[in-house]
Amino acid sequence: MQTVDATLEREASLVRDAKEYSIVDCDVHPLATDGLNSVYPYMSRAWRRRFSEKGATVQSPLNVRFSHPTGAIRPDATTPSGRTGGSEPEFMREDLLERFGIAYAILSGLEPARFAVGLAGPDESTSLCSAFNDYFIEEWLSVDKRFRYVICVSPQDPEKAAQEVRRHANTRGVVGVYLPPMNILMGNRHHYPIYKAAQRAGLPIFFHVTGAEIIYQGAPVASGGWPESYAERRMAFYQVGEANLASLVFTGVFERFPELKFVFAESGFTWAVPHSWRMDATWQMFRAETPWVKRPPSEYIRERVGFTTQPLEGPIGDSAGLNKIIEMLGEETLLFATDYPHFDQDNPDWILRGLSAETKAKIFSRNAHRFFRLD
Amino acid sequence: MTPVDIGKSSDFPKGKFRVLAVGGIEIGVVRTSRGFFAVRNICPHEGAPVCRGRLSGTMLPSAPGQLRYGLGGIVLRCPWHGWEFRLDNGQAVFGTARGRVRTYKIELIGGRVQLHLKPALGAVSTPPLPESRR
Repeated sequence: MQTVDATLEREASLVRDAKEYSIVDCDVHPLATDGLNSVYPYMSRAWRRRFSEKGATVQSPLNVRFSHPTGAIRPDATTPSGRTGGSEPEFMREDLLERFGIAYAILSGLEPARFAVGLAGPDESTSLCSAFNDYFIEEWLSVDKRFRYVICVSPQDPEKAAQEVRRHANTRGVVGVYLPPMNILMGNRHHYPIYKAAQRAGLPIFFHVTGAEIIYQGAPVASGGWPESYAERRMAFYQVGEANLASLVFTGVFERFPELKFVFAESGFTWAVPHSWRMDATWQMFRAETPWVKRPPSEYIRERVGFTTQPLEGPIGDSAGLNKIIEMLGEETLLFATDYPHFDQDNPDWILRGLSAETKAKIFSRNAHRFFRLD
Repeated sequence: MTPVDIGKSSDFPKGKFRVLAVGGIEIGVVRTSRGFFAVRNICPHEGAPVCRGRLSGTMLPSAPGQLRYGLGGIVLRCPWHGWEFRLDNGQAVFGTARGRVRTYKIELIGGRVQLHLKPALGAVSTPPLPESRR
């Protein structure tokens, strides 16, 4: 029994270790419990009729080419009533908050985000985003005081999106603005009304791929060409983050909106190290072309950009190598996330084991407070 | 170590894991057409409850553009990141990961299922498995 006891002891110490921190989970995805039927009460009768007569659904049809090979939602997150994981706030409380000792979970809705970038028109997506926002605020934030929410806005109509930001500037529990990536890069002036409103409200911009990428018109395309499989397309998701980060830097968004922060969620972060090197080198050579970039790009990034940790990747079996990457990127930029209830969820009790207690405190908790008003 | 009697053979529905708390740890036991298997309910990757994953076969390494399905019924796919493990030896399939799920020996004695807690490399009640079934 010695082996079993030793294993149990080791596992118990891991669990205690993670729960010592007041964990902020910066990437959690709720689904509307009953699809659009849950959201309809939050829109006018005319808009409800518009969508119901079209047979609208939250299911975004994916072609076989790019659909997930085995299902994107964890089968073990299925609710006791048999619903898809992530669709019932009460079960999310139990299966995420209680199970992993999460102090705050920041919810972002991918259903409105996909409508926002291409699955609905400009007016339709604006109406849907508002309704989803009201639904999640009303029916999820009320379930547990640990839930927080980033409102989703449609980039297809930036003026209306800015209005939506202003509408929720002081809504309790709203901690950010989810701006789903479209086929106009984030540095483009198209988005400035949204940034102006977000900066004024003191809310960060939350970046997260929607699943519409490389499939639907209006969503970002892949650089170089069209991938052939889910695996290839998953690799291309990082390109979207890379392109948008460079766009924010070189268009001068960090100078135009000096208080605005950005959170890149589920976009990876290891790539951001060499990406920053290349941006700094480019700035040294070509500063005169974009003279509004007044400091090395890596400085803006360290101060104003956060990257969520999930999906945590690094050299396999080399935790020291991963730690070095974190040090090079800047440990103050990393925000812990699970990505519940998706298949590639990270477990706070198992990851980042080799880091110091100080660094873990920053990544699990403290850094998130730098970006989001949580208390 | 004395094996633990965990019930009658007929207590175990075919193809569905029963997760038991034995000696303070969770062990999933499943009856398949190839016999009984027992694995620790922890994925070595990130600690997910691996026994809540799907039990099936998988695609074997093949030439580009071709598909070959095999290892039917002895591949356990973790419900989190989809890592695949062989039930008979716990190893990740085809070198996809270094870690493996812990397996335990099962014996059937007089219709009773006996679980040996000491980690074992394989389930003795099963015949050797072919790598491929076309």
